[in-house]
Amino acid sequence: MIRGAGLIDVELGPRIDSFAGASGEDKARQFGTYGYPIRARKPA
Amino acid sequence: MADILDLVDVQELRNEVQKKYRDVAEKPEATYHFHTGRQHAIRLGYDQAILDQLPDQACEAFAGMANPFYWETPRAGERVVDLGSGGGMDSFFAALCVGKEGRVVGVDMTPQMVERSRHLAKELGFDNVEFREGYVEKAPVDDGWADVVISNGVFNLCPDKVGVCREVARILRPGGRMMIADMCIEKPIPESALRDIDLWTG
Repeated sequence: MIRGAGLIDVELGPRIDSFAGASGEDKARQFGTYGYPIRARKPA
Repeated sequence: MADILDLVDVQELRNEVQKKYRDVAEKPEATYHFHTGRQHAIRLGYDQAILDQLPDQACEAFAGMANPFYWETPRAGERVVDLGSGGGMDSFFAALCVGKEGRVVGVDMTPQMVERSRHLAKELGFDNVEFREGYVEKAPVDDGWADVVISNGVFNLCPDKVGVCREVARILRPGGRMMIADMCIEKPIPESALRDIDLWTG
């Protein structure tokens, strides 16, 4: 998806349980939903 | 599987997202299906030395998924675009990082969020940040303007994710950096769930 847009050096950071303790936690678990930092670069 | 753009009415989804985040802008203290505010940002790993420079009003409507500044913060003098700037916290955070010589543009489609952020920028004396109303898929930013594009918990709400990424590529200068945070799913979502607008917004 990101590379498809022409961006390079795509990197995913550590997973974080963004919904832990929130009312949406159950729904998040249903789909295995977690937060991630993501970075990429536009070619020079 | 069918193309996701055939399963979801984009305008209906935008309307529901706007409704949800209008509530967050107007009632940040209420309970939502996701966490909000300063404590949530701290838990996500934001640099507290920078976060502590922001007053509570700048943080209370924050509803991010992770820390887009995990690897680095924007550098002094850089131009940053915050796609889906929401309550403005990430934009204000970036504004502290880029300093007087830098510039931050926050883009959001929810008028109440833009109004709130503009009001806060003026009240808090941030003259290196502005907020523009618009869609992240077609951001009101010139080609190649940005050194950095940030976003937090926004791309997951856009059916055309490749389109959003192409927009990021358009507004970045060559060599520019995308630093975002969002949710990723580990289990496949059935078509029936993709069609359910309520599941998109929580």
